[in-house]
Amino acid sequence: MQTLPRQIVAFGGGGFSMESGNPLLDDYVLGLTGAERPRVCFLPSASGDADHYIVRFYRAFSAHRCEASHISLFRREQGPEDLRRHLLSQDLIYVGGGSVVSLLGVWRAHGIDVILREAWEAGVILCGLSAGSLCWFAEAVTGFHGAPKRLDGIGLLPFSNCVHYERGSKRNDYYHRFLREGMCAGYAAEDGAALHFTGTELSRVVASRPEARGYRLDVAGQRVVEMRIATAFLGDRGVAPTAPVPEALSTAVAA
Amino acid sequence: MGLPSANGDVGAPGQATAVRRILALGGHDFSSRPPDRAVCELLLRLASERGGERPKMCILPTASGDTSDQIGRFYAAFGERPCEPSDVSLFRLGRRPMALRDHLLSQDLIYVGGGSLVNLLAVWEAHDIASILSLAWRQGIVLAGQSAGAMCWFEAGITKSSGKPLAAAGLGLLHGSLCVHYNNEPERRAAYLDAVAAGMPGGYGLDDYAGLLWEGEGTPAAVTARRGARAYRVCSREGAAAESPLPARFLPAPAPAALREDIAEFRRIKTMRKRAGWLG
Repeated sequence: MQTLPRQIVAFGGGGFSMESGNPLLDDYVLGLTGAERPRVCFLPSASGDADHYIVRFYRAFSAHRCEASHISLFRREQGPEDLRRHLLSQDLIYVGGGSVVSLLGVWRAHGIDVILREAWEAGVILCGLSAGSLCWFAEAVTGFHGAPKRLDGIGLLPFSNCVHYERGSKRNDYYHRFLREGMCAGYAAEDGAALHFTGTELSRVVASRPEARGYRLDVAGQRVVEMRIATAFLGDRGVAPTAPVPEALSTAVAA
Repeated sequence: MGLPSANGDVGAPGQATAVRRILALGGHDFSSRPPDRAVCELLLRLASERGGERPKMCILPTASGDTSDQIGRFYAAFGERPCEPSDVSLFRLGRRPMALRDHLLSQDLIYVGGGSLVNLLAVWEAHDIASILSLAWRQGIVLAGQSAGAMCWFEAGITKSSGKPLAAAGLGLLHGSLCVHYNNEPERRAAYLDAVAAGMPGGYGLDDYAGLLWEGEGTPAAVTARRGARAYRVCSREGAAAESPLPARFLPAPAPAALREDIAEFRRIKTMRKRAGWLG
């Protein structure tokens, strides 16, 4: 049996949840599956399995281009009985946004965290935005409620992560502060940018908007070193996959 | 906080002098049907006993995933009543940040809605809500709820959070276990009796519209808002589960506000017609 690479695509923000009319990121993750009619399962746990969100997923991932399903952990009496079998049979698992704290709590209660690791190792592509991006990392910056906080994700990727990394956002300042306080090095992505990992290596950054970028953040002593990563805009025809090269180097001095 | 209370049984925060009250309900809705009105009347009464004329009542709809439906029904039931209703939606804090602890501890009654018991406990743990609720209880804030929102106060309950009925742990403020929708969902009752026979701590079974009210230590008082809806004591006897119905106080349904006006108008017309000699 051929072994598939482990892949995670972590959106800073975007896809059908945030960019109606711009399907570039969603098309990108569907394309990665290589399947003609990929099986895609939506996990809306971070929203409390909000009905309107599930409806929007099915509208975006319509039956003519994929075999879509969802798992509602608040309504287990409906939907697939064997969660593990269902998740392991997918080509793509798409995690929605919302409260990452609630998401992790509910996942652990139903053993989803363990199943997702197994799915990742088996080559099922994992993706998501916002809470659905933070969850894959060892550490994350959540700004869902009040001041941004540090929390541990399920740790498939041994880095930290910050989403909605827009210029001037207070998440950025907090992320830098957490890094100086000992948070592990990691990656940030602006809305519209997505970090594509193969194994635990960042293989490329893609974007649904020409200006959206991803960043690599390291700490050197008390200094946070932030590198902007060259990003492939998916709207350009014939984009060749590029290796992640530092595009610009900026050093943020301790505030 | 430390609101002055009508009957003087509320201690200041941190004091253990308050009467600890929990109302566990087997199942109900917030509709305008008589048994639902009776349940809402009891909730309002319990809140008023602590908070006076305009008690604060907050719904925690966590077990449903904070559905607008559950929140809307709560506001529909209490919005026009003499109280201050609010909701804490842990999944929506992003759009509506609030100081959780301060808000919850300033309530007179905290109502927990139904849904998934497993998810309820998991999300509460993630947000550190359990310790706040336990403190609220010790401060005399009434804790109430139906279905998952009733079982959560016990050591264990029978939940369908994973599809079929299975035992799951609660917060353990109350000893023993609870099974809701008791005769309304026979497979849940059967799973409960099996679990108790197999060693799960005994407790209670509650039909829809039956409830148990703890006020302080000791045995709870059973209430029922629908004829035939009962509360049961369930315990293990010689390796088998034994159930016995508890005597319950009937909760009469108050006339809905609109109906009260209709009745008054009908009576006025009837009197006028009588005077005019139209009616015998």
